[in-house]
Amino acid sequence: MKLHKIVVAVLALGVAAGALAQAKPEVLVKQRQAAMTLQGKYFGPLAAMAQGKAPFDAAVVARNAGYLEALSRMPWDGFDASTKDVKSGTLPVVYSDAAKFKQAGENMQAAVDKLVAASKGKDEAATKAAIGGVGKTCGGCHDDFRQKP
Amino acid sequence: MTYKHFTTTTAALHFRVALLALLLAVAGAAGAQGNAKQGEYLVKAGGCIGCHTDNKEAAVPFAGGRALKTPFGTFYGPNITPHPQAGIGRWSEADFVRAMRHGVRPDGANYFPAFPYPSFTKISDQDLRDIWAYLRTLPPDARASQEHDLGLFFRWRPLLSVWKWLFFTPGEFKADAGATPVVNRGAYLTQALGHCGECHTPRNILGGPKLGRYLAGGKGPEGKTVSNLTPTRLKKLTDGELKDFLTLGLTADGDVPAEAMGEVIRNTTSKLLPEDLAALIAYLRTLPPIE
Repeated sequence: MKLHKIVVAVLALGVAAGALAQAKPEVLVKQRQAAMTLQGKYFGPLAAMAQGKAPFDAAVVARNAGYLEALSRMPWDGFDASTKDVKSGTLPVVYSDAAKFKQAGENMQAAVDKLVAASKGKDEAATKAAIGGVGKTCGGCHDDFRQKP
Repeated sequence: MTYKHFTTTTAALHFRVALLALLLAVAGAAGAQGNAKQGEYLVKAGGCIGCHTDNKEAAVPFAGGRALKTPFGTFYGPNITPHPQAGIGRWSEADFVRAMRHGVRPDGANYFPAFPYPSFTKISDQDLRDIWAYLRTLPPDARASQEHDLGLFFRWRPLLSVWKWLFFTPGEFKADAGATPVVNRGAYLTQALGHCGECHTPRNILGGPKLGRYLAGGKGPEGKTVSNLTPTRLKKLTDGELKDFLTLGLTADGDVPAEAMGEVIRNTTSKLLPEDLAALIAYLRTLPPIE
């Protein structure tokens, strides 16, 4: 009986994993682009605040930083090798130098983590600097891995 | 009596002439001297800090060290602080003007066009004097400039004479009589100080600009893709969106440009006076559209 349950559980997991692996490349691209779009949505207002173009609002910064913390983890499994031939803004180096690409993604996540930590403090200048740090890692990755429009 | 009177007037005349000469000399010197405050702005508009400052956290501004990796090798921006040995402290204003206008070192050797003198040659005499005046006010820094690391063939400077003969036309910017003063100002900022074409105009195999594709984007000097700045691409953005992009480093939907441009925005375009930024955009709108 117990063994039976284990077999069912393993099978269920296998099916779930299989379902993930079978996501169509086009869908993966759409999903990772959605994650990027939402990062833009929640990062944009912070960048404006960091540069004094919008009034600084610590509550909005803390909320958006929290969103970005989750969002910054989302795009990467969408750059699956199966998506290589789907039309998108990625450069081939994303797939040919996956280690470098992974590093660039991790740099961004680390910068977002710093922002999350800073947004919990009271230091406006440090928070603004952390926002700038996130912007640089976004651009740093776009430098090498994204086609220019 | 008469004789005495004569000598007094002569002496007085001599004195006046001397005084006038002195005044003229002072006025002349003042007129020739650049305005460091204006120079500080022009140095921002020229983006000098980008290549002449290392991209390390505690790097001293203008003390050099930034690497530019090109197909010909790696260039390192030199120290341009007024340090007598490490920097350009022993240069005269004429040395500086010659470097910018003609791409020639004080010792007569050619500069590699990694130093964008094909653009800087267009900077006006007055602006060059102002830039020089500002550079003199920088704190001297002893950081030694680093040798460029170039391919065996390319490090031979006399070869640059050929390159210059092919691709370099020295001379100040000339306003287009058919264009408005605003568009001409934008053209000057884009072509001369901003040296936008150094990255946004693709290069041929010899590293010369493909002038038929001026500002049309493609591959930049470091092998990365760069955007097309002609109306083919820019017509998709309003003036307001372009202004925001060039000051905030952000598009309306929160997208961030590549860091190569992000840096230019932080150092240069976000520092431009609003009227200069508007002029730059107005000029880009007048470019021939290139696919």
